[in-house]
Amino acid sequence: MIEKFFNPNSVAIVGASPKPGKVGNVILANFKKRFKGRIYPVNPKHEEIMGLKCYPSIKDLPETPDLVVIAIPAPKVPQVLRDAGEKGVKATIIISGGFRETGTEEGKRLEEEIVKISRKYGIRILGPNCLGIYDNWSGVDTFFLPDEKMMRPPKGKISFISQSGAFASALLDWMAYRNIGISRAISYGNKIDVDDVDLLDFLANDDKTGLIIMYLEGLKPGRGRLFIEKAREVVRKKPIVIYKAGKTSRGSTAAASHTAALAGNYSIYKAAIKQAGLIEAMSFDEIMDLSKILLTQPLMKGRKVYVVTDAGGVGVMLTDALTTEGFILPRSPADLKEELRKVLPPHCIVENPIDLTGDTDDDRYKVVLDILLPRDDVDAVVVGALPQVPGITSRLADYLAEARKYGKPIIAISIGSKEAERFKDLLEDKGIPVFESPERAARALRALYLYSKIRGVARE
Amino acid sequence: MVEPREIILNALKEKRRKLLEHEALELIKAYGAPIADAGLAKTPEEAGELAETMGFPVVLKIVSPDISHKSDVGGVIVGVNSKEEAIEAAKKIIENVSKNVPSARIAGILVQKMAKKGLEIIVGGLRDNIFGPVVMFGLGGIFVEVLKDVSFRIAPISYEDAYEMMREIKSAKLLEGYRGQPPVDKKAIADIIIAVAKLLEENPEVDSVDLNPVIAYPDGAVVVDARVILKQ
Repeated sequence: MIEKFFNPNSVAIVGASPKPGKVGNVILANFKKRFKGRIYPVNPKHEEIMGLKCYPSIKDLPETPDLVVIAIPAPKVPQVLRDAGEKGVKATIIISGGFRETGTEEGKRLEEEIVKISRKYGIRILGPNCLGIYDNWSGVDTFFLPDEKMMRPPKGKISFISQSGAFASALLDWMAYRNIGISRAISYGNKIDVDDVDLLDFLANDDKTGLIIMYLEGLKPGRGRLFIEKAREVVRKKPIVIYKAGKTSRGSTAAASHTAALAGNYSIYKAAIKQAGLIEAMSFDEIMDLSKILLTQPLMKGRKVYVVTDAGGVGVMLTDALTTEGFILPRSPADLKEELRKVLPPHCIVENPIDLTGDTDDDRYKVVLDILLPRDDVDAVVVGALPQVPGITSRLADYLAEARKYGKPIIAISIGSKEAERFKDLLEDKGIPVFESPERAARALRALYLYSKIRGVARE
Repeated sequence: MVEPREIILNALKEKRRKLLEHEALELIKAYGAPIADAGLAKTPEEAGELAETMGFPVVLKIVSPDISHKSDVGGVIVGVNSKEEAIEAAKKIIENVSKNVPSARIAGILVQKMAKKGLEIIVGGLRDNIFGPVVMFGLGGIFVEVLKDVSFRIAPISYEDAYEMMREIKSAKLLEGYRGQPPVDKKAIADIIIAVAKLLEENPEVDSVDLNPVIAYPDGAVVVDARVILKQ
C-alpha cells in the first residue's frame, strides 16, 4: 500500500496552477519534468495547465489515480478527500497547512474531520502540513521548492524520513551541492496517518535504499514499541542514522514520582534508540559523517585500529580521538615492526601511529597498507594524509581504493584548503570517506563499530 | 499471600491514587522482589508483637493516605530495639501525627525490619504515553538527586538489558565495590528491575513505581521503600 506513494502509475494534483510561485504550480512542474506516469492537474478554474488537460474535480478524472497530491487551502481539503474516497483513491499526500499545527480550534477540527473521512474510505494520508515525497527513481516530487531554489541530488542509496519539512529540503539541497546521492526523501508533517513505522516498513524491503536517515521530533502516542520492533528488523538489513530533535526536558509536569521527574522525554528516547539498534547522530555534521562511513565501509570485527600518517602531530591527534571513542591503538608487535622496517626508510616510525613522515610518497602508503590490512590483529586503518606534503599525488587515492579488497574499513582525514578538498572528492568518489578532523573521523568510526556490534560482527 | 490485582483494585475502589506503604511493598514482593520484612500494625500492642516476631532492630512508620512526607510530621522512628520500645514508639507516632496533621486518616503503623548497611540504589518505572512501560535504574542519594545519573529501558527487558542499564550509569564503578568492598549482587538488582517491568506490563492501572531505596549487598538486595502511583 505504502508503495503507491512512491511508485504510482498515475497522479492527480489538486490545486495545480499556472501561476508561477504557487505551490500547485511548482509541484506540477516537478512532476512534468521527471515523473513517467500519467499526470492529472485538478483545478476548476482552468481547462489546461502546462499543456495538460485540467479537470474540475477528482470525480471527473478518466481513471482512479494511484496517488492524489492535495495543495489547496485547508478548509477545502475535506471535500476533496471525500471526492477522492468516492473515486476509490487509496493514497494521498496533503501538502496544505492550516490544521492542528496552527493551535487553533478550527485547525484541530479540520484535522479530525480529514482523519474521519480517511478512515471511512480507507485512504492512507501522508501529511498534512508537509513537503511530502521526493523519489529519485519514480520522479514523484511534491517538494514545492523550485529547482533553482533547492537543487535535487543525484540518485543514490540514502533515503530519509523527516518530521521537519525545512530540514528535509535543506538536507536535500546540501546533499545535491555535494553530489551525495539520494534514493527517497519523505517529510510527513503532522503525520495523522502514515508515520515512521509505516515508512520504515516500506524502506526496509526497498532494494534502492541502503541506509536510512531519520530526523525525529517525536513518535505518535502508543507507537513507541512498534517503532522499536520495526527498527530492529530494519537494522538487521541496513543501518538507520537518527537525529533526535527536541532533547531538552519536557519540564517536570508536577511529577508524582521520582522516576517521572527524572525521565525527560529525551532519556526515554535515548533508551529506545539503543534498544532499537539505531545509530544516533548528535549534530548535523554527524548525520552526514556517520551516513557516509556506514554506507561505504565494511563492518569491523574488533576495536584494534592502526593509524598511518605523514605527520606526527596528526598521528597524536588521531590517537587521542580514537582512544576517547573507545578504540585500541595497539603497539606494533615485533614481527610487524620488522616487516615495516624492511620496506620503509630508516627515519620512518613503525610504531602505531605509523608515521611515514613529510618526505613520503604514495608508494610508502601502499606497501604499509598491504602489510597491515591482511593481519588478523588489525580491524581498521585510519589514513592521515596531509596533501600539503609534496610527495602525495592522486595515485594515493587509487592505492587506498585498491586496498578495499582486504574487506576492512579504511577511512581518511584531510585537513587544508583547495588541495585537501580536491583530494577529499577524489577519495570519496572511490568509496573512501574523508573527514575534516581527527575527532569527526573517530566518532564516525565509532558509529561503524557500534553498527558492527548490532549486526553481531564485532563481539566485545 | 495477597493477590496483586486485589491490592490495586482495592485502592481504586477507595479512590486512592497512591498505594499505602504496606500495599506497595506487598505488590512488589508479589512480583518476586525481595523486600525488607514488614507488616501493618493496627494498634501499639500489635506493633510490639510484630516487631518481636520480626527481630530487632526495626523501624516504625505511619501509614496514612493523607501523609506523604512521613518524617516531617514525626511519623517515623528508627532503631527500635525491643518489644516495649516498639509499643512506646507506636504510641509516640500516633500522638505526633494526631497533633501535626489532625485531619489525617491513620491506616496503621508499618513495622519494618531495618536493613543492614549496603549500597543504596533506586529502581523505578513509569508508563510513557509513547513507549508504554519504562524502567529506570540509578544509585541512590546524591547520584540520583544531584547528578541524575540514571539509565532507562523500555519494557519488556531481558537480563542483558538490565545489566547494560547498570553498566551505563556514570557511577557504574561503585557497583564493582570501592574502598575494599566486594561488588554488589547484580543478578539480584536485575531481578528487581525486571520485577518492576513486569508489574507495569501486567497492571495497566499502575502509572509509576519508585523503589527508593533498594539496598544492594554482595549477596542479594532488598527493597526498603516502595511508592506506587496509580493512574488518575
